[in-house]
Amino acid sequence: MEGHQRNLYLYDRFNARVLGVSRDDVLTLKYWGNSLGVTFPLLSNITAFVGAYFDIQPEGKPIFGRRTVIIDKKGIIRYVRDGSPDFRDILLFLKKLNQEGGKP
Amino acid sequence: MKKKGLTILCFVLAVAWLSGCASTETSKKVPYRMTPQGMVIWEDEFEFMPPPPDWKLLRVEAGENDVNFGFMRSDPGPFPSVTTFAYDEDPFGCTAASFEGREREFFKRFLFNAILQFQILERKKVQVLGGEGLAVIVEGKDPVKKEKVRAKVVFGKRGDRIVGFYITQWRPMEGSYDLSAFEIFDKFVASFKFLKKSFYETL
Repeated sequence: MEGHQRNLYLYDRFNARVLGVSRDDVLTLKYWGNSLGVTFPLLSNITAFVGAYFDIQPEGKPIFGRRTVIIDKKGIIRYVRDGSPDFRDILLFLKKLNQEGGKP
Repeated sequence: MKKKGLTILCFVLAVAWLSGCASTETSKKVPYRMTPQGMVIWEDEFEFMPPPPDWKLLRVEAGENDVNFGFMRSDPGPFPSVTTFAYDEDPFGCTAASFEGREREFFKRFLFNAILQFQILERKKVQVLGGEGLAVIVEGKDPVKKEKVRAKVVFGKRGDRIVGFYITQWRPMEGSYDLSAFEIFDKFVASFKFLKKSFYETL
């Protein structure tokens, strides 16, 4: 999350914005986000339907798997990677997508 | 106002997460070469003076907040007598533009898993990477495990972003530190140069 926060100015340059989604409750996310200094939205999804939709809800576990998803302006999923975010890969992909799609 | 066209969703595993696991490099292809003057050119991006041969190269898997490379030395004495230092392209912290602010953010997470009681021994402005920087020396103690660590963190700038160097020297509580390792670290930091613009500056 800190990595995304550090890159916000670059995401803005590529007309992208970032959201975090977690199964933690709102209060926990608020505390956590404040402690890190995160300014982008962190969404609480304790009922886990977002995780089920994106297929990152391990069966029987109260957490999401770690996944980065990039959705374009038409709502099409263009990028999916599991594990820790590869920020360089993400930024290069966003740059390409922005050039490809032009200014929204 | 610009309309944002792309959305990144990041799923968070849990409130706390683990960074990559350190491992020593075993690949045959090495990412560095030596100059006739004895300097290391790392991936054509960094130049620095390497530590003496008893320091082992430390590689860390790529990922969030991971350092690229560093050096490690096992010190004489009982566990956990070891010294490690590294260059970090993205040190902990994310919002503060000043070195002092970044220092506060950094130490919220530095050696977080060790649960240490930190004391700042020294904080001073320094010249690093061709500009102004900040050096902080701390000592952390774990009264439960009876271990301690002396660390020095140096913050500098690469383009608009803050980068860092740090060294940690672990000892049993009654052990004594070997400050010569910190001199080797200081030489490494003083010799460190960027040979090209960072990835972020070229976007």
